[in-house]
Amino acid sequence: MIRQANAVDFWRGLALVMIFVNHIPGNYYGRFTHASYSISDSADLFVFLAGWALRHLVGTPERQPPTWYLVLRLGGRAVTLYAAQIMITMIALAMLASVAILRDNPLLLEWHNAAAVFHDPIPTHVGLAAITHQLGYFDILPLYVVLMVMAPGIAIVDRFAPNLLLPLSLLIYGITLAVPISIPTWPVDGQWFFNPLAWQLVFVLGFVMARPTGIGGVVRQHIVPIRIVALPILIGFVFVMRYGWWPDPTWFPQPRLFFLFDKTFVTPPRVIQFLALVAVISVAYPTIQRYGPRLVDFLSMLGRNSLYVFCVGSVLSLAGQILRYLYRGDIVIDTVVVIFGIAMMAVTAWLPEWRERVKGRPAPKLAPSS
Amino acid sequence: MPAPFSRDCQVGSTATASESPLPNVAAALRDKRKLKILAIGASPSAGRRSARGGHTGETKDILQQAIRGLDVEMINRGVSGELAAQAAIRIRNEVALHEPELVLWQVGTNDALIYVPLGELEQTIVETLRWLKERKVDVVLVGLQYVDRMAQDDHYRLVRELIRKIAAQENVIAVRRYEAQRLLAQAADSGGGLVPDEFQRSETGYVCLSQYLARAITLGVFGGNLRPRELQNLPPRPQN
Repeated sequence: MIRQANAVDFWRGLALVMIFVNHIPGNYYGRFTHASYSISDSADLFVFLAGWALRHLVGTPERQPPTWYLVLRLGGRAVTLYAAQIMITMIALAMLASVAILRDNPLLLEWHNAAAVFHDPIPTHVGLAAITHQLGYFDILPLYVVLMVMAPGIAIVDRFAPNLLLPLSLLIYGITLAVPISIPTWPVDGQWFFNPLAWQLVFVLGFVMARPTGIGGVVRQHIVPIRIVALPILIGFVFVMRYGWWPDPTWFPQPRLFFLFDKTFVTPPRVIQFLALVAVISVAYPTIQRYGPRLVDFLSMLGRNSLYVFCVGSVLSLAGQILRYLYRGDIVIDTVVVIFGIAMMAVTAWLPEWRERVKGRPAPKLAPSS
Repeated sequence: MPAPFSRDCQVGSTATASESPLPNVAAALRDKRKLKILAIGASPSAGRRSARGGHTGETKDILQQAIRGLDVEMINRGVSGELAAQAAIRIRNEVALHEPELVLWQVGTNDALIYVPLGELEQTIVETLRWLKERKVDVVLVGLQYVDRMAQDDHYRLVRELIRKIAAQENVIAVRRYEAQRLLAQAADSGGGLVPDEFQRSETGYVCLSQYLARAITLGVFGGNLRPRELQNLPPRPQN
């Protein structure tokens, strides 16, 4: 049974399209995504909505699946995500290698942290399998894998001590930023682009906000005053983003991470701006649903099949980058890439739903052979 | 004593770097402080032997061997494939977090490959260099890589020239990696080199890069009056 279009799937579908566009640097259409006006970007929305979706899996206090079921289900999801990460990484590496060979240009082998795979393959393949080596733009699924591994723990704390969950998450976040604690990459010396110890806060925020009681209930009850407060924050951050109105990062007291705009640690200004964005933008869904039902259906279809669409979108965005390199990217190339890419993402989402619909139907009769 | 070159890398050694002072690195050495080096930009640690820290790890080792008592902390925050504009934002944060004396910024190759407009690239690099200078952080720019395929590409050539121009104008060291790698390539083509395949040359380029970086830093600290002793033993220059 395919679920009806809804706000979560709609926004998730929108995030997927924007991630695809933003993952092609220099793309003309990147200026029309909210990342051009906002400190937070689609990654924050994606992780937040993943936490929101977890709430539906965990169930309401009245109807909760057994703990063992949750652990198995979420563990299975983590394995699926891991497999998806390995698959798209290998496809990306093959694409880079193919173009490097065809164009006789080894510089392509160095795109997106791929160099070590080709120049130092023995330890780097261990790193790929252990997800301690991640390609640039292919680094959000490893975060998602870790969050899914953490998810049973989150669900269990929520079940037995729901009021402790957000304070515990904030504590881990605070310690991670104060120390700061980096998650190292290996074999290439560096750190995870998305620090799971920091990003778990965005995931947990999505999870607790989706709950009709507790903080989620409080937010729903006071959403109008929250939006009144959030709007000037959001507008202020647009000016900060466009005109650089933020103090020099070296002027802040230690620990400075609490004041910087940093994606790796999803720092507090970014979280605050993101929550303001969610509060303000969420008001728009009923209006969009009313005046643009086809758009809602389309993006919800992408959102319902988010893993497939994300994987195809990641590979297509790399293809878009390669095309921009091959044909000196301009608005024509960008237009073709964006239209074709979104169309392919739609086909990717439609296909499993079509299979779902035809399942159980009698197979079409074959035309008799002569 | 400037940091030495291995035999493979001597061919490109004459073209390694412009010389400019590194006053903040020199001050750290004078005060016997730990030297913090932030490596950022496209693939600063990629390449061979990445398990041992890549070429930044080798640069650290060479520096510590060349300067007695020097304690180097290498902070590797490179993201291979990263554009200058993205690195410029991260440089500010990473400098605020780690307070390094020196930034090694590998810049330009990826911007050239995706045809970032020259004016935009120039503004990004110049603004970042001036910001670093104001905060008393020295910089070594690592320029574009050499590959035969891109040698005829106009935009690639213009980006290379732009980085050299900016380095001269802003008085910062630029490691002329393109020229050094081209000399290695020419030596290989004339049978004088050890790495005939271009893909392998790219790999060897990383090994030499660590030596060129260490040389540039030691010359930046101790001045240009030190002549590299290895130049006396250079093999015959390849003919163009």
